[in-house]
Amino acid sequence: MTDELVISGLEVSIGEKKILKGLDLTVRQGEVHALMGPNGSGKTSLAYTLMGHPEYRVTAGTVTWRGQDLLALTPDKRAQLGLFLAFQYPSAIPGVTVASFLRNIYNAIHHPKPADADGERSIKYTGIPLGKFRKLMEEKMSLLRMDPAFATRYVNEGFSGGEKKRLEMLQMATVMPTMAILDETDSGLDIDALKSVAEGINATLSSEMGVLMITHYQRMLNYVTPQFVHVLLDGRVVMSGGEELSHQLEANGYDWVREQIGLPEGTGDEVSAPEPVASH
Amino acid sequence: MTVQTASILDADAIGRISDRFDEPDWLRAHRAAWWKRADATPPPTGQEEEWRRTSLADLPRGAVLLMDVPELETHLPSGAAEHGVILTDLRTAVRDHPKLVERGLGQVDGPASHAHFWALAQAAWTGGLFCYVPRGVSVDGTLVARQTLPRADVAFHPVTLVVAEEDSSVTLLTEVVSPDGAAGWYGGIADVRAGASARVRYADLQQLGDGAWRIGAERVVVGQDAVVTTLNAEVGSRITKLGLDVLMTGKGGTSKVLGILAAGDDQQIDINTVQDLAADHTTSDLLYLSALYDRAHASFYGITNVRHGTKQTSSYQECRNLLLSPQAGAEPIPVLEIAANDILRCGHGATAGAIDPTTLFYAQTRGLDADAAERMIVRGFFEQVVSQIVDETIRERVLAALARRIGAESSDEVAA
Repeated sequence: MTDELVISGLEVSIGEKKILKGLDLTVRQGEVHALMGPNGSGKTSLAYTLMGHPEYRVTAGTVTWRGQDLLALTPDKRAQLGLFLAFQYPSAIPGVTVASFLRNIYNAIHHPKPADADGERSIKYTGIPLGKFRKLMEEKMSLLRMDPAFATRYVNEGFSGGEKKRLEMLQMATVMPTMAILDETDSGLDIDALKSVAEGINATLSSEMGVLMITHYQRMLNYVTPQFVHVLLDGRVVMSGGEELSHQLEANGYDWVREQIGLPEGTGDEVSAPEPVASH
Repeated sequence: MTVQTASILDADAIGRISDRFDEPDWLRAHRAAWWKRADATPPPTGQEEEWRRTSLADLPRGAVLLMDVPELETHLPSGAAEHGVILTDLRTAVRDHPKLVERGLGQVDGPASHAHFWALAQAAWTGGLFCYVPRGVSVDGTLVARQTLPRADVAFHPVTLVVAEEDSSVTLLTEVVSPDGAAGWYGGIADVRAGASARVRYADLQQLGDGAWRIGAERVVVGQDAVVTTLNAEVGSRITKLGLDVLMTGKGGTSKVLGILAAGDDQQIDINTVQDLAADHTTSDLLYLSALYDRAHASFYGITNVRHGTKQTSSYQECRNLLLSPQAGAEPIPVLEIAANDILRCGHGATAGAIDPTTLFYAQTRGLDADAAERMIVRGFFEQVVSQIVDETIRERVLAALARRIGAESSDEVAA
């Protein structure tokens, strides 16, 4: 089985509202994809659905990762299979330090507790040794050029927008996922913060990792170059292409896409969209 | 030998306690006087504001008074005894330090809302603790006193008396443990006094069995320029009803009043606090945190009383409740009574709510299963108090007790 994330005919509702309406997308390990779309097109819904948010109800379609049905799994199991979501709005966890959180999530993914640890054969579960973890964390923090004092702060509590995004990147660098979904990682960042976050992404990228960058604007793509660009409109991928597509979008806006695919300007609802113009 | 108490104790039963322990006359008189007080101060009817949320209808009044009290385990840091520090069970203290005990025991009323139970314990105590730190003595290390009850179905009203004289410094942990099972009545009270410029850290860790009724009262007096931190960690019992008065009677005194409550099943916790700012330039900050599972319920009724004519006092009370089940409930009620004009600060905050589902999802997407994610969030929630427990022994004991309730696997899970 190839190492690919295959999303096929995905339909998702939240409450009574249908948000994704037959979304198709394939991302392979080692590839960087950008998924662009206007507000309300379903970008974050896709990210949440891929990770198993309980409020997002899948009504049709499939999602597989390395041939395995992802939709049947809880979020933690998806993470243990190598998926990672960098949140647009990461949650604060008061009282839990960054260092302890990183160690917990590293252990959850790379040193899961044996399910049947019992009896005389069981040894006390400790996960990664503290010293080894410290070293790993210091490496990753220096890779992302982060102040070591960051480690002692509580997760996202009182963080600026830029700090939150950097912590998402630090988590990604620490757990080294094989498929990372970055949801609006560029939003709310000034240019310096954007550059440093992008550096973090580039430093973490490898041929072992697939990336799906979800973004509203093109500016992030100046720093992290995608091989593939897709346009999400009204719950579907309506257009796909190479990096040049992002520049066309930047120049012409989403109404240009609507025009290209024959949708009325500024709408998308109640219209049966055609097949995607291009796909790979 | 045990004393049978048909419904509640009577004067004869109180006398028999003195007979049994061959007590000196002053103590016999002391018990008799407090018994009269208990008799004259009827138990709460349920109409009182502080008692509206806890019914005493099922209080096991008929439980047998525990007379053969197992030995109190005490730990006194080495060298402390040579400096006159005393840490011993109250009966031994009556024998070995009669003057000190007579001078300190039962000289004051307890929290008004718990007056009956305070008097009852002063009259009917069969165990307890005496801790004394002489003037100018600083004790390094942690004093620990642990009481284990032999059975669940008894009544026990121990008295803890802590006297830290002027300019002394002490850290004390008291613990009580009892087996699960039948209903019992634990009516322990604590009388804690910090003299001028004393520094006192007092933590009480309650791990009573699941049938226990803890009807407790605690009175803390903070002298001039004294600094006192109290911690009540309530993780056991069926019912906990605690009255806590912190009396800021000395100018410039500071108190930190901390609470950690973790309850599940059908446990009920009801805390009444009074922060009494009776002197100029006093500071009192209260923080109570509760994590409530299953059908557990916590009430918190806290009064901040800024006395008339006081100047430049500073006070806060905060009560936060984490509801970990749809059936769990919390009722935090802060009351500010401000009779002074010149105050620095007087505020309150109260919250009760479930874990934000998005936060839970966030942690789950990092590979933690739902239980582990919840545990981490709950443990983090308590960190606001835990981080203020500077004494390592106390912190470890409290975390270990909490782990049994909230299920955290190791104390370094959060603090790594």
